[in-house]
Amino acid sequence: MSVQMVRLENVIKEFDDSIVVDNLSLDIRAGEFLTLLGPSGCGKTTTLRMIAGFEKPTTGKILLNGKQVDDMEPYKREVNTVFQSYSLFPHMTVFDNVAFGLKMKKVGKEEIKERVTKALKLVQLEEYGNRKPKQLSGGQQQRIAIARAIVNNPKVLLLDEPLGALDLKLRKQMQLELKHLQQTLNITFIYVTHDQEEALTMSDRIVVMNKGKIEQIGQPVEIYERPQTRFVADFIGQTNIIEGTVSEINGDLATMEFAGQTIQIPNANHVELNEEVFISVRPEKMKVSRTPFEGAINLKGTFKEKIYVGSVTKIVVTMPNGKNLTINESHDKIEDLTDTSDELFVSWKPIHSVVLKK
Amino acid sequence: MRPKTKKILFSFSLLVFLFFYIPILFVIIFSFNDSKLGTVWTGFTLEWYGSLFQNKQLISATMNSLYLAVVTTIIATILGTLAALALHRYTFIGKKSVEFLFYIPVVIPDIVVAVALLAIYGLLNMSLGLNTAVPGHVAITISYVMLVVLARLSSFDSSLEEAAKDLGANEWQTFWKVTFPLIFPGVLAGALLAFTISLDEFVISFFTLGPGDNTLPVLVYSMVRLGVSPEVNVLSTIIIAIMFIVVFFVGLRMRKGGTAK
Repeated sequence: MSVQMVRLENVIKEFDDSIVVDNLSLDIRAGEFLTLLGPSGCGKTTTLRMIAGFEKPTTGKILLNGKQVDDMEPYKREVNTVFQSYSLFPHMTVFDNVAFGLKMKKVGKEEIKERVTKALKLVQLEEYGNRKPKQLSGGQQQRIAIARAIVNNPKVLLLDEPLGALDLKLRKQMQLELKHLQQTLNITFIYVTHDQEEALTMSDRIVVMNKGKIEQIGQPVEIYERPQTRFVADFIGQTNIIEGTVSEINGDLATMEFAGQTIQIPNANHVELNEEVFISVRPEKMKVSRTPFEGAINLKGTFKEKIYVGSVTKIVVTMPNGKNLTINESHDKIEDLTDTSDELFVSWKPIHSVVLKK
Repeated sequence: MRPKTKKILFSFSLLVFLFFYIPILFVIIFSFNDSKLGTVWTGFTLEWYGSLFQNKQLISATMNSLYLAVVTTIIATILGTLAALALHRYTFIGKKSVEFLFYIPVVIPDIVVAVALLAIYGLLNMSLGLNTAVPGHVAITISYVMLVVLARLSSFDSSLEEAAKDLGANEWQTFWKVTFPLIFPGVLAGALLAFTISLDEFVISFFTLGPGDNTLPVLVYSMVRLGVSPEVNVLSTIIIAIMFIVVFFVGLRMRKGGTAK
């Protein structure tokens, strides 16, 4: 797993006067499912396009399997792309679409037939070879686009928001199928998406990008449970960001002043006395009750509203300084919390406070 | 739509069609007319069809017209398509001006092109012949080809070219396997337009052809000065028939291409 497949070294990409990718360095291992995640305009698609060869980095190096490729034409690179809009050739049959890459490589007719059939079988569309792409549904076209790419046995498969145009249910299904496909084929997948749930579901590692820079690289669980920056905490899932001043440091723990109350925080990031810090606490790590919990952080506030969203009920509690905190509770536990004047305690364990870098 | 409105619209459309096609119908009918004067129906004959094919002048003019149209179409289609591809694909300084320059020949009167060419030929001391009409024909048709191909390209998804390159096709293969087949209907439409415009062209041909070289329109013009002969009717009928067949088959092909997409 530790063989390096793709390496980006200090890659900068400028368009006109704006810097789209800003000094990005990244190592991608062989056989890894890596996701570039970020809001639109964060440079994730440009990064992918530079690996594919459709854009050349302004400065910096791109290595593919140890070979420097940043000046190599796309058709010479051992990578294949699954495009956002599928980009199937409308004038060719499904079979000819999938066979295109092999024909370009002058593979023998018999072998082409064999490999295309196998690829179509892999995406469960072996009976659709004679159709034109327009005659297929969006999900089927998506599968053909994947078959067309993987039939070439690429070293790396690049996927640019490939599920963006599908409806939610099909998207969920395709997420699992893609993940299984990746494990079966053992190809390195580089996947671009702005959908954090998709990234968490499929990836071995996630690269969270913002404004052309990497905010954090890590496994899904690290990204979600231990976000390092305010941006990552905010972008991935829902969270409560609480800002306060460090008033005491005591070994592994520190104390932070917030709205006239104190919050104990882990001192993993080595905060300093009187430093302004942000912490992130996920709504599902918090509880509400009328009485404080022992051995936990308890913040006093007033009940504002509750929103039923199906699996949980969201409770909004207003702190004395006006800041709202959102807590996820199971519906049956909070049926009696309806009086808006109620004083409530918001509680969580100190280990669930994640201290964020500025 | 209300029935009354529908009736009015129908009658109006009918009138327009009659206006278009009655003169053509007359030409066809009178190509079979026995009379030499061609204005009164005296009886059915195929005589003029026979004599047309004996008319060496007419045959050579037809060959000249076809030659000019084919040469013009080939040059204008290649150059026009290349120009459209360049304008579609690249951004460069002065692109808007270049595009604008391509629209000019569409609106400029043919007589201006004709006189300008004649002046240049005079300046270069070139003697006029059949080929001296080619630059003029190309000049007025190239814009049409470019505009039609450009229109087709605007609906062309350039990520298809990226997909082809991603799958290992070089620039050349990408063009012939992906780009060209997809813009082909536009190229064909542009070529047909160039062909018909060239075939129809009178003013430029009249000015820039050598003294002995006639094209069909130029010859017909000189013939009708002595009155419309039945042979002109026959010639027109044959041209109408050919164009009808061509348009019919192109239409059929386009339709097939349309559904296959």
